[in-house]
Amino acid sequence: MGNFLVARLAQAAIVTIVVGALSFVLIRILPGDAAMRIAAGRYGPDASITEAAAKVRLELGLDRPVAVQFLEWLGNLLRFDLGHSLVTAAPVVHELQVQLGASAWLAAAALTLSILIGPAIGVLSGLRPGGVADRLGLAGAAIFRAMPPFVLGLLLMLVFSKQLSWLPPAGFGSPREILLPALTLALGLAAMSSRVARNSVAAVVKAPYFAFARHKGLPEAVVVRRHGLRNAAIPVVSYLGLQAIYLVEGVVVVESLFAYPGIGHALVHAIIERDVPMVQGTALVMGLMFVAIAALVDAISLWLDPRLRRTA
Amino acid sequence: MNVRTAIQELSVSGLAVESAAGRVVSDISFTIGRGRPLTLLGESGSGKSLVAQAIMGSLPPELRATGKVRLDGNDLLAGSRGVQRRLWGREISLLPQEPWLALDPTMRVQGQVAEVHRYVKGRDARRSRQLAAGNLGEVDLPGAGRLYPFQMSGGMAQRVAIAIAHAAGSDLLIADEPTKGLDAALRDSVTARLRQEVENGRLLLTITHDVAVARALGGMVGVMLNGELIECGPAERQLSAPTHDYSRALLAADPESWSRQAPTTPGGVVLAGYGLAKAFGEASLFADLNVEIRAGEIVAVVGPSGCGKTTLGNILLGLVKSDSGSVERRNDLPALRYQKLYQDPPSVFAPHQPIRKGLADLARLHGRSWNVVERLVSRLRLQSSLLDRLPGQISGGELQRFALVRALLLEPVFLFADEATSRLDPVSQREVVAFLLEIVRETGLGVLLVTHDRHLAERISNRVIDFAQ
Repeated sequence: MGNFLVARLAQAAIVTIVVGALSFVLIRILPGDAAMRIAAGRYGPDASITEAAAKVRLELGLDRPVAVQFLEWLGNLLRFDLGHSLVTAAPVVHELQVQLGASAWLAAAALTLSILIGPAIGVLSGLRPGGVADRLGLAGAAIFRAMPPFVLGLLLMLVFSKQLSWLPPAGFGSPREILLPALTLALGLAAMSSRVARNSVAAVVKAPYFAFARHKGLPEAVVVRRHGLRNAAIPVVSYLGLQAIYLVEGVVVVESLFAYPGIGHALVHAIIERDVPMVQGTALVMGLMFVAIAALVDAISLWLDPRLRRTA
Repeated sequence: MNVRTAIQELSVSGLAVESAAGRVVSDISFTIGRGRPLTLLGESGSGKSLVAQAIMGSLPPELRATGKVRLDGNDLLAGSRGVQRRLWGREISLLPQEPWLALDPTMRVQGQVAEVHRYVKGRDARRSRQLAAGNLGEVDLPGAGRLYPFQMSGGMAQRVAIAIAHAAGSDLLIADEPTKGLDAALRDSVTARLRQEVENGRLLLTITHDVAVARALGGMVGVMLNGELIECGPAERQLSAPTHDYSRALLAADPESWSRQAPTTPGGVVLAGYGLAKAFGEASLFADLNVEIRAGEIVAVVGPSGCGKTTLGNILLGLVKSDSGSVERRNDLPALRYQKLYQDPPSVFAPHQPIRKGLADLARLHGRSWNVVERLVSRLRLQSSLLDRLPGQISGGELQRFALVRALLLEPVFLFADEATSRLDPVSQREVVAFLLEIVRETGLGVLLVTHDRHLAERISNRVIDFAQ
């Protein structure tokens, strides 16, 4: 049982080193002078920018060799110190708490909405493959999946904010503001998860054990509830895990679009301002979230499917 | 236990099954009484399973049953399908083929028995659990309730299915190929259990292609061919002195009645394993095993399921690593010259690719000419029109012969036949085995034959390695 946890912990360690090193190197090879960007981020671009940049370089030790700077970051990390933002000088951990908190809310809202929509449509479609529900489900899935999130987001904004004036087009703070960005993400997610759930349910309905449950004389609702849903859920849970990861990535774009102050927003700005500790911290937390999601999916799958426990 | 009176008789008359294309089963009539079970024998595609489904009311929607199916005078076909479905788990129980697939893989067995009490009989949860434990005890599986189906043998799974029928308390049992894929020992335990159900007063209809099952069950035996019941009579007479040619062929195809026909004059060793051992976790399958296979000989490996027969073959082919010892090939011939014939032909062909395409690709990949393929195809008496069908559109016996063509195309010196005929009906099995023997004699192919059929092993092999000891 504990094997998978050990494997995931090892994965977390590897992710930390790789993500840290990559963000370090990638930021360095971006064109432009980092000290200059940071100075611009702090004081705004004015006439004395070159002087300010020189000061920044000296102050932050950006002139030291890259390897030294990386080892310093890694050493600090071992003491759970992610460092300070080069621009705001606030601890990276604080910035992340605020921004990750907001992102987590958005991601959770989107995932919850998508789970309410997707698998439910999937079960309806899968119980009667080729039926009306299935065909409508397929059409809907194709439309919402084909639409990039920014187009869908703009459409929702036009309809619900501009035409109907039900919801604010941008901002942050109340459930009303989270609804549109969450729905934008949720529709794209549900488009896919409904089809995965549909295929899974359709396969279960054809399985000999489903037929046998009927032959036992069980009422149809009992057959679906006791023998259909759990078996059909096994692949769907793995897929929802993948979606949760996609979501964290998607958040980067959607947050910027809706001016939502989350971790994706933070990452984009940190990159523009060459704020290395912020980039590293953000990327690291996102990487570790992937590992945590994978671990969660492992745990739920083990719980659902006793066959996996054999080898674990 | 039941308040209502038990059903005395199932009477079927003029039963036919029709598809849009025409009749697939016609004019079936028989009667099953208490203490007098009926076994329908026939090859796959003979329509015997359709008869069971028509009585059960579980025919696929594109098929329609006509005629009369009376349970104590009640005509089951007179109402809609829903009427028949209401009898499931109450009057009629099905013993499924391959019960390890028919049990929910993710639910403990106890729950799968208890739900009949809970949801069909409407008892409360606690009482249902108690009764389910009792039902499992009746089939000698006390305490097995905590197991999942994957932790059980095929025979245990079939007994769970019988416990479920007990829970339903239904009087008519329909057993659809109840021993398919079971080895001889498990098969005998399942048939003994079915006999007991008959003695307890249940009506039993069994569908099988295994003559041994029909013999063990006794009662009446019917033989089906091309959707018709060509003969039906008491088991003793049917199984000793059948009148119809096909019935005779069916009986002759049972390996038990074959003559011994092992190949002669084996040549040099083509494949050998010395000091082989394999254990999975704590359980050791075999240790310090030596085996040599010579050109032109058939070495059979017999034993119950799960004893390591297939693992031995896979070790010799290099598909599984042995824990110790070594495997030696003659002159280090390439691995391609060592081939395997699998148990379930449909699962080793790409389902959406015509057979011709697969064989043509293989011939091209290995630089063989298409003429070689055609020679092999006609050699195994396969019509070349079959080449353009999909694997699902031809019979299991034909498909297994194509699998043999595919293996022979690579000019093997060794073939591992892993239960290669156990899923075929006796007539097809006999054909495939006959071809295999001819090829061994002609080409000096060395064969490792893994089977759970001791009679088959003894009739056609030079040596038998017995894993049961």
